[in-house]
Amino acid sequence: MTSRRRRLGTGRLQLLRLAVVVGGLVALAAVGVGGAVAQDGGSSPSPTASAPVGPTASGATGDTNTCRTCHSAIDNVQHEITEAWGASVHAQAGINCADCHGGDPTSDQVTVSMSVAAGFRGTPGRTESVATCGDCHSDVTRMRQYQIPTDQYAKYRASVHGEQLFGAGDARVAICIDCHGSHDIKKASDPTARVYPLNVPSLCASCHSDTAYMEPYGIPTNQLAIYSESVHGKLLLDESDLRAPTCVSCHGSHDAKPPSSAEVVGVCGRCHTATQALYEQSRHAELEIGPKCWTCHGNHDVVQPDESRFFHPKPPSIDCTTCHNPVDRSLVLSADRFTNDDDRRCDTCHHPDSLLYAQAEGIHDALATAAGAYDAAEAKIREAAGVGMIVSDADVELAGAKTSLIRARAAVHTTKLTDVAALADEAESKAGAAQAIAEEKLDDALRRRAAMVIVLALIVVNVFALILIRRRLDHSYAGASNGKPRANVLS
Amino acid sequence: MNAPAETVRGGVAGWFEERLRISGLLAALLHVRIPVSAQTYYLGGISLFLFGVQLISGTLLALYYKPTADAAYESVKYITSVVDFGWLIRSVHHWGATLMIASVGLHMGRIFVQAAYKYPRELTWMFGVLLFAVTILFGFTGYLLPWDQKAYWATTVGTEIAGGVPLIGDALLNLLRGGADVSDATLNRFFGMHVLVLPLLLAGLVVVHLTIVHQLGLASPRHPEPRPVRRGGPAQPVDEPLKPFFPHYILDELIAWFVVLAALVVLASVLPAGLEDEADPLITPQHVKPEWYFLSVYQLLKIVPRTIGIVAPMIAVAILLLLPFLDRNPAVAKRRRPLALSAAVLAVIGLVALTVWGAQS
Repeated sequence: MTSRRRRLGTGRLQLLRLAVVVGGLVALAAVGVGGAVAQDGGSSPSPTASAPVGPTASGATGDTNTCRTCHSAIDNVQHEITEAWGASVHAQAGINCADCHGGDPTSDQVTVSMSVAAGFRGTPGRTESVATCGDCHSDVTRMRQYQIPTDQYAKYRASVHGEQLFGAGDARVAICIDCHGSHDIKKASDPTARVYPLNVPSLCASCHSDTAYMEPYGIPTNQLAIYSESVHGKLLLDESDLRAPTCVSCHGSHDAKPPSSAEVVGVCGRCHTATQALYEQSRHAELEIGPKCWTCHGNHDVVQPDESRFFHPKPPSIDCTTCHNPVDRSLVLSADRFTNDDDRRCDTCHHPDSLLYAQAEGIHDALATAAGAYDAAEAKIREAAGVGMIVSDADVELAGAKTSLIRARAAVHTTKLTDVAALADEAESKAGAAQAIAEEKLDDALRRRAAMVIVLALIVVNVFALILIRRRLDHSYAGASNGKPRANVLS
Repeated sequence: MNAPAETVRGGVAGWFEERLRISGLLAALLHVRIPVSAQTYYLGGISLFLFGVQLISGTLLALYYKPTADAAYESVKYITSVVDFGWLIRSVHHWGATLMIASVGLHMGRIFVQAAYKYPRELTWMFGVLLFAVTILFGFTGYLLPWDQKAYWATTVGTEIAGGVPLIGDALLNLLRGGADVSDATLNRFFGMHVLVLPLLLAGLVVVHLTIVHQLGLASPRHPEPRPVRRGGPAQPVDEPLKPFFPHYILDELIAWFVVLAALVVLASVLPAGLEDEADPLITPQHVKPEWYFLSVYQLLKIVPRTIGIVAPMIAVAILLLLPFLDRNPAVAKRRRPLALSAAVLAVIGLVALTVWGAQS
């Protein structure tokens, strides 16, 4: 590039800069036209309808990309853009400026390279840019070599973002470049990419936490704050555990849309497969308008469940009409009643006098007993470990108890008391065995210390005996020397 | 050939004496010159006692220990939780190592403060420094043998430090590990070093060290050892009375050994040797720290460039080894050795500070 600049000469470079400015004005005009088209109702061409503009169209290579040669010399902003592109995954794949902006990158004459005749389009409008990306990314043949799905454009059109953009002509919604960047596009597996899983919550929040930006849509803006405190958020953001769900795990990425109540079980079940299977055995799952995952666990604010989540400290005041239509007695499940985490309890729906409440109580008691036995065993094992005992055998038994307890807790989703009680009993029994091992070790530790005291006593007796012998030796030695120097001198 | 008739003792002793003619040798062995002003604090003897403890407890452990990566951890667990008194033997061996390193270190400190490394005991000191080095190597090689997470990763870090030695680092790392990583090969060679090479080396060095001590006697902390007046001439006598070595000093030593034994029993009973999870090369623990006697080097490496952190301890050991020749001051009285004692105090403060820092960081 430097040698080329030298060849161009200073005068020619100035001429080039002038031409770039003129070209920029042409580009701005093109953007204005594009923007006007978008504002007119999103009549941007579909990828299949638009003229194919692909990597092979420009014919530019690293050596013939005159766009980069000139633009990197204009100013810092342009230079950074060319550098960002140079480090992007597009540059690695040979996707050049002209593939998105049009023009002829093989010509070093700006009047040619940035001419309308050469297909120069300048900066695409927001709506147009989606189609531009879609041109290539919907092309199965072109994407095959990169093993990239080609349904993103279709998915995007079906998303709330896409519907808003193409349907309502609202260009404020997120488009491809808002999440992936425009020139600095990186692979989603690159930890520095904005779409890398660890970065997704903050990426979504860049719009969704902006109160002013979200105001026209009436969407809450506290999701990130709530998610950050959830069991999922802590796992992802605090422990960088990529197994934890990000926003897109539940809402989708290109096809972003909040799952409906009916869809929630399937969404959660993508990770919680076994739990979903248990839930589907339950009476809850049989109900058309029955409780779903969110009813008890919430959505953004999912916390670690335990036995305290069965009942309110004081049963809430409910009557038949709280949950049933007074006319046809059908179930009515208002989402508002479960907004507050403290209200996601069994007795929010089940009256304390009902049989179902008694069943929930039985499930709770079985689990609480098993959990108590587990905690007691764990405390005893730690106590034994604290006095230096090897407790790996007790730990193995305790791990078995934990597995049974986890299974018992998961079985709550079946709402079947017999299933839960059987597993809870198993957990309690294994915890009892683990505790017995730990207690035996504590007894052993006590015996060792008793033995230590005996050995110490024997040592003390020996030491006293030796001290007595030593004193007698000193007396006899002093007597033998009889006041004279006690031994020979050094010589 | 009319040799004078010897007095023949009766009984078992007499029976053996007739056949071994050993009484003269024993009498010579049981005579060591100890000036009355010499305060040994019995540290050399305690180190010897602890070596004996390690030898016996180590032999017992070796009856059950299996030195392979597949079986080592389970065998140590078996020793600790199933074998009768296995926990006690392992714990005594564990604490014996710590006390031995401490007593050898304190013994060296006592020799330094009392200037007992000076003429004519330069070789005694140098063999002592070698004994200290071998004791440390015992700790280093023994630490890996339980093959738990702590053992594995501390050895990984420790051998990496050795790998940073200029010029020979890579070869040394390969020699220690028997490959690129700490593996079964490392465990095998550490075990071999720990139970065969080092005990023989230590025993040999102890024999030489004690022989010199026996021949020269203990140093007086009050008077420098007189040099011969002229070549072949008699030494200048110093009028300082001696303490009887046997049975007086030996009895005192025995009492000190009992006290150390009591400490070992208490430590082994109250803080028995533990065992972490089995070594897993794929799971690096969050905080990998070496045993306390390596903490100072560990911390130094964290705060200075790597080469300096590795070379500085080597220079320190070299200085320690050559101390009798570097410190040319013939005086033994503390007030006449301000430079040496100040340097030593500073070195000890630095060592302790780095160790505490390393433990807390």
